[in-house]
Amino acid sequence: MNNNLGIIVRREFMERVGKKSFIFTTLLMPVLMLLLMAMPALIAIFSTPSDKTVAVNDLSGYVMQVLKNADISHLTFVSVDESADSALSNTDYYGVLSIPADIVEHPSSATLFLHESGSVETESTISELIRQAVRDQRMRAYDIENLNQILEETNVDVNLQTVRIDESGETENTSSAVSFGIGMFMTFLLYMFLLMYGQLVMTSIIEEKNNRVLELVVSSVKPVYLMLGKIFGVGLVAIVQIVIWGVLLCAMSAFLLPALMPAEVTQQVAMFNAGEMATGAEALDPSLLNALSIFSSVGYIAKLFAFILIFLIGGFLFYASIFAAIGSAVDNIQDASQLTSFAVIPIIIGLVVGMTVGNDPNSTLAFWASLIPFTSPMVMLMRVPFGIPSWEIWLSVVVLYASFIAMVWLAAKIYRIGIFMYGKKPSMRDLIRWARYK
Amino acid sequence: MDILKVNNVSKKYTGHLALDNVSLTIPEGTIYGLLGPNGAGKTTLIRIINHITAPDTGSVEFMGHPLTANDVVNIGYLPEERGLYKKMRVGEQALFFAKLKGLKTKEATAELRKWFDRFGISDWWNRKVEELSKGMAQKVQFIVTVLHRPKLLIFDEPFSGFDPINADLLKNEILRLRDEGATVIFSTHNMESVEALCDNITLINRSHNILSGNVNEIRQEMGKGRYSLSFEGDPQNLLNALGDRVIDHTFTSEVNSPVTNAKLLLKPDATIRQTLALANDAVDIVSFDRALPSMNEIFIQTVKNNEQ
Repeated sequence: MNNNLGIIVRREFMERVGKKSFIFTTLLMPVLMLLLMAMPALIAIFSTPSDKTVAVNDLSGYVMQVLKNADISHLTFVSVDESADSALSNTDYYGVLSIPADIVEHPSSATLFLHESGSVETESTISELIRQAVRDQRMRAYDIENLNQILEETNVDVNLQTVRIDESGETENTSSAVSFGIGMFMTFLLYMFLLMYGQLVMTSIIEEKNNRVLELVVSSVKPVYLMLGKIFGVGLVAIVQIVIWGVLLCAMSAFLLPALMPAEVTQQVAMFNAGEMATGAEALDPSLLNALSIFSSVGYIAKLFAFILIFLIGGFLFYASIFAAIGSAVDNIQDASQLTSFAVIPIIIGLVVGMTVGNDPNSTLAFWASLIPFTSPMVMLMRVPFGIPSWEIWLSVVVLYASFIAMVWLAAKIYRIGIFMYGKKPSMRDLIRWARYK
Repeated sequence: MDILKVNNVSKKYTGHLALDNVSLTIPEGTIYGLLGPNGAGKTTLIRIINHITAPDTGSVEFMGHPLTANDVVNIGYLPEERGLYKKMRVGEQALFFAKLKGLKTKEATAELRKWFDRFGISDWWNRKVEELSKGMAQKVQFIVTVLHRPKLLIFDEPFSGFDPINADLLKNEILRLRDEGATVIFSTHNMESVEALCDNITLINRSHNILSGNVNEIRQEMGKGRYSLSFEGDPQNLLNALGDRVIDHTFTSEVNSPVTNAKLLLKPDATIRQTLALANDAVDIVSFDRALPSMNEIFIQTVKNNEQ
């Protein structure tokens, strides 16, 4: 009988992996994903904002100074003496900024008149500049010596470099932003896989039921094995796809990235990895360095993919069982839609909680959501890059795999009744009743 | 020897009894008809015999031991509602089913080639199933059902979807398999094929076994006292001559012919010799024969009686 399970798994696997569409998506998806990630940067590069001139009617006498000295690309400030109305009649100006004389006392009294709808970026730039001007002016009121120099020197940019000390006492350079990004990527990948491959199991069971090939197969194979064979076969396809992507990414990080990175960047990454920070004008943003350091570390990428695999397998087996039970109960996909929500909604909740948890990976919500098998795969993958205690990870894995076994057992009970039920659209109550049959 | 024994099997589905205390015995090497109206419980019984579902009470014995999952390799089942994986190639798919029945790839391929040749479908091997017509797909399904040489074959409406020529081909294959030692359970609504093929039958109605036995014996039994008589002359004379020997009668006259056909049901103690002598005096006899009821008549009559 176990031999038959192998035959079923093999058929399910070959039917999908042999397809052109599988080879196509497997190789093309990473390219598409890279494009998607690079999209914001590309858009920023290609859509340079148009140059804008803002007329400033400055009654205070010092705000204009700050505006003029500010080096803002695409934004020039011209001083005018006319009132806002008359300045606005000149359509060369993007807008007119009216600064009252008592701006120091009433910082919110500045007004920007525009011809067209404003842009958030321009507005926030201008308010920031006014804020600076008012702050400087208020400080001058204290009559401090060398004030301008002090202001100059105290104006700094801070980049927090986080070093996490793991259980073995080794330090690791981390940036929460990068961890968040990686966690997000993994959570979303898993979400996609669970939905896509889970529903594939369901539709393929419905199809088998519909064209009655199932009747022929169950005469040689126990229904349970047929269901397991389908779940394992489809799951294997998902695993192969993830492994291929993991290998592609590792290969890219091992060969492509070093070849593409400029020498000084490589050097900085090496320094970063050694725990030193480059200083000076050439220094890159630490978050970027952190990201580069991670992407050039094959071991780390392989480790992440191992985690993806562990939670993908557990999560898939768990959810595919639910999808299989639903697929066995209905005659067509239309009938399935209502029942499908019992599987789809928890997956979406898992994604949402996962994304929330990224802000505080050690919260109570994070802990419990990564124990409950409905949400644990997504939530755990979000937390893993932040470096949480490994006992939490393994506890979550054990709970997930135990729940998968329970869920398969339950699904099999529904499946063996459901596949022979035609006609009536079943409700959740029917499914529960079938599961209770001996 | 009996290959299969079903003992007092009952099976209940949500509030409805699919089988109620059904028993039957199937002798080895025979063709056994499993008959009954739609929804009578035949498919449930077949699924129990096939170890797809388990009975609530009662037991099934296969070749002298309680039926287990391992016996499935000795059973071939062609379900009424049947399909194939559309995207797979014919040969690949036939191999898949053969392997599920425990055959090795090599021997399965050799066997399949033989059967494909016999059915004249060798050039289908690499074609996709979705390109086949319904009848063509049925041939493939038949082959994968019998390929592993099961001791017990179960055919549920095997002839549906076949043209008369292919139906005949299939019928001869079923008889050949029987002659080679296989036992066949044959479920159908086509009563003519039951008469042509079956040695024994069981008639199931409303979850009960209402009639079991040898086809000839059943027909003899049901045909007791029934005769058909063709004659020239006045039907009334005939009835007067036979008197109270006649329980029931129908007369039909042939168009453009003086001959009348009578269907007579006589009392059990009326002998043929007496009856013929009396009739011979009253009318001119053209022919006289026992009137065995067809399986069709038996089916309808038995089910109707059962439902009253």
